Amino acid sequence: MKRSRIVSLALLALILVFGIAFPYLGASNFALSITTTILVAAILASSVNFLVGEGGMASLGHGAIAGASAYGAGWASKQGMDPGMQVLIAFGVTIVVSLVYGLLSMRTSGIYFLMVTLAVGMLIYGLAFRLSSITGGENGISNIARPQWIGNLAADGWKYYYVVLAGFVISTAVLWVVSRSPFGASLRGVRDSESRMRSLGYTVPAYRLAAFLISGIVAGFAGLLSVWQTHFVSPSSAGVDRSVLLIVMVILGGTGTLLGPLIGATIVILVENVLSSYVDRWPTILGLIFILVILFARAGIVGSIAKLLRRLRSRTAASPGGPPSPSDTSVSSTSNAA
Amino acid sequence: MTSTKRSTRRSWVAIGGLGAAAALALTACAPPGAGPSTQGAGGTAGTGTLTIGFISPTTGNFAVAGQEMYDGWDLYWKTHGDEVNGVTIKTILEDDAGNPETSLTKAHKLVEQDGVNIIVGPLIANTALAVAQYTASVGIPNLQPVAASDDLTQRNANDLTVRTGSMGGSQANYPGGEWAATQGGYKTAVTLCADYAFGWESCAGFKQGFEKNGGQVVQQIWFPNSTTDFSTYASQIQAANADLVYVATAGGAPGPNFLNAYLGLGLPIDKLLLNCCAADQGTLRTMGDQIIGLKSVSYWAEGRDSDVTREFVEAYKKASGGKVPGAYIAGGYITASLLASVLQERGLLTGSDLIDAITSYTFDDSIFGRVSWDDYNNTVGPVFIRQVEKLDDGNLYNVPIATYEDVDQWLGRTPEEALAQPTYSQTFQG
Repeated sequence: MKRSRIVSLALLALILVFGIAFPYLGASNFALSITTTILVAAILASSVNFLVGEGGMASLGHGAIAGASAYGAGWASKQGMDPGMQVLIAFGVTIVVSLVYGLLSMRTSGIYFLMVTLAVGMLIYGLAFRLSSITGGENGISNIARPQWIGNLAADGWKYYYVVLAGFVISTAVLWVVSRSPFGASLRGVRDSESRMRSLGYTVPAYRLAAFLISGIVAGFAGLLSVWQTHFVSPSSAGVDRSVLLIVMVILGGTGTLLGPLIGATIVILVENVLSSYVDRWPTILGLIFILVILFARAGIVGSIAKLLRRLRSRTAASPGGPPSPSDTSVSSTSNAA
Repeated sequence: MTSTKRSTRRSWVAIGGLGAAAALALTACAPPGAGPSTQGAGGTAGTGTLTIGFISPTTGNFAVAGQEMYDGWDLYWKTHGDEVNGVTIKTILEDDAGNPETSLTKAHKLVEQDGVNIIVGPLIANTALAVAQYTASVGIPNLQPVAASDDLTQRNANDLTVRTGSMGGSQANYPGGEWAATQGGYKTAVTLCADYAFGWESCAGFKQGFEKNGGQVVQQIWFPNSTTDFSTYASQIQAANADLVYVATAGGAPGPNFLNAYLGLGLPIDKLLLNCCAADQGTLRTMGDQIIGLKSVSYWAEGRDSDVTREFVEAYKKASGGKVPGAYIAGGYITASLLASVLQERGLLTGSDLIDAITSYTFDDSIFGRVSWDDYNNTVGPVFIRQVEKLDDGNLYNVPIATYEDVDQWLGRTPEEALAQPTYSQTFQG
């Protein structure tokens, strides 16, 4: 096992241990609830990240997929169904919606893919807004129940934090496994050269559709987790603003990196919810951070740090004399995983 | 070399394993601070300070209205002092950008971190509903100065949420229909309302008031909230050829945009009846003298002949460089003055005691007139038919020409009948 691989795995373990120990480090209820929010956003961002990083498909519709799933759970709760049925309906809605997205967009790429996902997202937003007999219109659905064993929001914030943390770990692991699988490799092939993959005999649209379904299911999972946290859903959770913020999170963190979505979500959620208590012009600050990252850290925060470390290491390796060894370059390609 | 590498790997695995084991052991028992929350309700009772968390969108699409709501609240404490009957009022303002998720997080922050006693706001219907549900679950009183959603005090009503500075959408417009069909003498009407919950509720209120008193709504037209060009709607209205045109917007640009299109076609101003927000001060300032005589229906009338209203208008004019206050500012102001009056009479109260004190109170001399609260914590008060006039200071005011006292939210039904109905929509107008 390569040393850098060990370091990144150890780093992951350290972050995980910190995440697990967080409620014991004297974190307040508010700190826990905001960390939960960050983790939910990170799950959603990692679903976008998977699609962008592996498939080269930037979606402006993932907020709406999560929204559709949230509405599914909300509607089920309003009909008096138990949380098990909520989960079933939420995932049912998610799969149907992702299929619609996937079928409409699987033959497009680049800007056309962006426009198709934007359009379907607006459609879902419009339905949430107008179909008031089911969605409650602009007022949304409130008092959505969640499983009893999670307990209530005020007293047992830590329980739900662990549920979401586990959800984050599982979804990140699943996405990682998928992107390391032969399927993930083919997907990257499609991203890099569609025509080559087609001439090699791959059914490109099928790969795109499958990638969208996987990503959509993770997004729907995030939607369900968010509805269990807030007990509330309204059209703005399905709006295009949310989807745009997801792209911002992914770019800030670094596309195609494992921890990028978490870092990006942390920055965006903290600026939006914590910094805004102290600074009136917080949207400006968010914009400035975004511009700075685009200008000086094109690979995103995680991606740029990995790059920087690689450069430092190759310099120290090179300093005794001679160019960096070929093994170093192979290290750098795997360390992308962090 | 290989052996050292292998041993590093082994030690990493060992550390990782230890860490995971420790983490699992920790998870097995609840964290130290995880007991039932004791923060919040009544946290500072007795010390003489009432901490208020004020949530309002001061950035984003609703920044103007959100800032106005806070300005009204702030103006009251600035002009009357922030100490009432030995209770000091401390306000923490939080921006939610009009987004329900942010609203909720801010509410969490105010309750869990700042330990506020009351939450005031937010502004937009869905943010208000999201926050009201949360504050009720943690026992914190919630005062709503502006949010007009019917369901806030109907299907989603809770014991700790009070609408203090506005009325439900259908409630505030029902008397408009009644007035038009009776005193106004109009027989037929065409309606133009914003195509979402607030517009549906406003139109439903007007339509029911109008038709119950013998009028007939011949056509209902709906416009998307983002409409900027109203010329096609104005021609549709012209073609409908009704005696009266009722228009409901949620405030902001649609009011002036509609009036420009309507007056631009040469249609008469005396056939118009607008809702609260289409004829708010923003519209009056934008349109100027050409809309003198324009009629509207609202719970707020800045040109009403009363000492408290005059005092408020003068104070706001002084603070804002000569502007006359609109409904959102009035909503923030009346909420503050109501809280002050209750504290004056009853001393320091928190939690459900405070809500009981507010809802059993009759605010005889508020800037809205005589206001009380029903069993669902909604405002019962006067609704004015207003007409735009130019007063001595050269500003345009909405001056009442008719007043309906003690208007409640049930539109002539019993609460049970009203709650059994579906919610208002394009297809269900009551």
